[in-house]
Amino acid sequence: MVEVFAVASGKGGTGKTTSTLALGMALADEYDVTVIDADTGMANLLFHAGLDDAEPTLHDLLIEGTDVPVQQAVYERFGMSVVPCGTSLAGFQAADPGRLRNVVADLAADTDVLLLDSPAALDSKSAVLPVVLADRVVVVLQPTIPSLSDGLKVQEYARSYGTGTAGVLFNKVREGDDLDRVADRTEKYFDGPVLAGVPDSDAARAARRAGEPLLAHAPDDDAAAAFREAAAALTVRDGESGDVADRFRSAVVPESP
Amino acid sequence: MSAETLRLPRGELVRSRVVSDPATALGAALERGLTGYAVLEPQETLLLDGDAAGVLTFDDGVPVLAYHTESDRGGPAALADLAEPGPYRADLYALDATDLAPVHDTPELEVPPGMPAERLAGDPDLADRTRAAAPDDRLDDADEDPVASFLEDEAKIEAIQAEAREEARERAAEWGLDDELV
Repeated sequence: MVEVFAVASGKGGTGKTTSTLALGMALADEYDVTVIDADTGMANLLFHAGLDDAEPTLHDLLIEGTDVPVQQAVYERFGMSVVPCGTSLAGFQAADPGRLRNVVADLAADTDVLLLDSPAALDSKSAVLPVVLADRVVVVLQPTIPSLSDGLKVQEYARSYGTGTAGVLFNKVREGDDLDRVADRTEKYFDGPVLAGVPDSDAARAARRAGEPLLAHAPDDDAAAAFREAAAALTVRDGESGDVADRFRSAVVPESP
Repeated sequence: MSAETLRLPRGELVRSRVVSDPATALGAALERGLTGYAVLEPQETLLLDGDAAGVLTFDDGVPVLAYHTESDRGGPAALADLAEPGPYRADLYALDATDLAPVHDTPELEVPPGMPAERLAGDPDLADRTRAAAPDDRLDDADEDPVASFLEDEAKIEAIQAEAREEARERAAEWGLDDELV
């Protein structure tokens, strides 16, 4: 079985990478989880996972003519398979984002849950590709008007490509936010439930500095507990690995940005 | 327009910019300790020559009242009405504190000090700085959360969705992703 989720937000700053790794670690208790940094233009998952110096990365897999086997860019960390992306501009420029589909197709054959940490924008082919290819999106939002507007936009893009919404995760929730009422009303507009409200947390920032996912760095923090609650609320659907692989392989290849 | 509805005396224009984000205007007002008002005209108005604008008044850089000219709503609801995608034209006007004092005696238009930065601009740090600059008697809790109020406005949400759908289809055509559309 495999289901591919694009973890998306529309804009940066919502804690998408922290959320991707936290959901991944929580889901790894039950599933075989692979996390891919699909934000090839502004990769940062490597810093969150202590893989700053990792070589090769996804960039190497996306460069035409290189024969790096996919498995060489897969790092076993924190109970998950992690595929980081490099941060060099040269790597980004040489990478052909369209090759992502093949990478994902290869990895889909051998995992239960694939999480794509997606670009914080919808302004290019490569940025929208994870949403196009995923089965469903997990929308990471802050409880603010601009963030909700962005989230609604992400969902419409996803709907346009036949990609469902698995749920909405409110992150960086601050004291005084009326999350109950906001969550209630949010669910009227999104096709998936509000998975959890994750409190704004110093531990999340400290985890990033330490190069560890939050659930490894501060498993007892309230934010970590909320992420586990979100993962538990996420129903992973059975999909045939072959179907996903085929879907990725048959997807239109976007040109380099 | 707004200034009359709010019965604002005309102030002296001290800053006029097109900004991508309302945070820039709110930050500028806080930094210069503006006593006066800001007129925020969202992109839609700039392009369509409409007259929808948000007016925020300030006392020493701290927001006091919010009003939206098109919806004729005030307070937190006006912030929700103003939440359009940027850019915005942001004009800051200075007024004498004595001219502004009677206007500020309009509790139904009042917003909590940090709310415009936090909810309209999505900038919690600016909201913190604004609250720190606010007098203690202004730091009471809000009655209505503007995010909840925004989500209550089904017509607005539908408009955002329709616009995003159209944009998604246009861009799919641009990017050669038509075949992936459903």
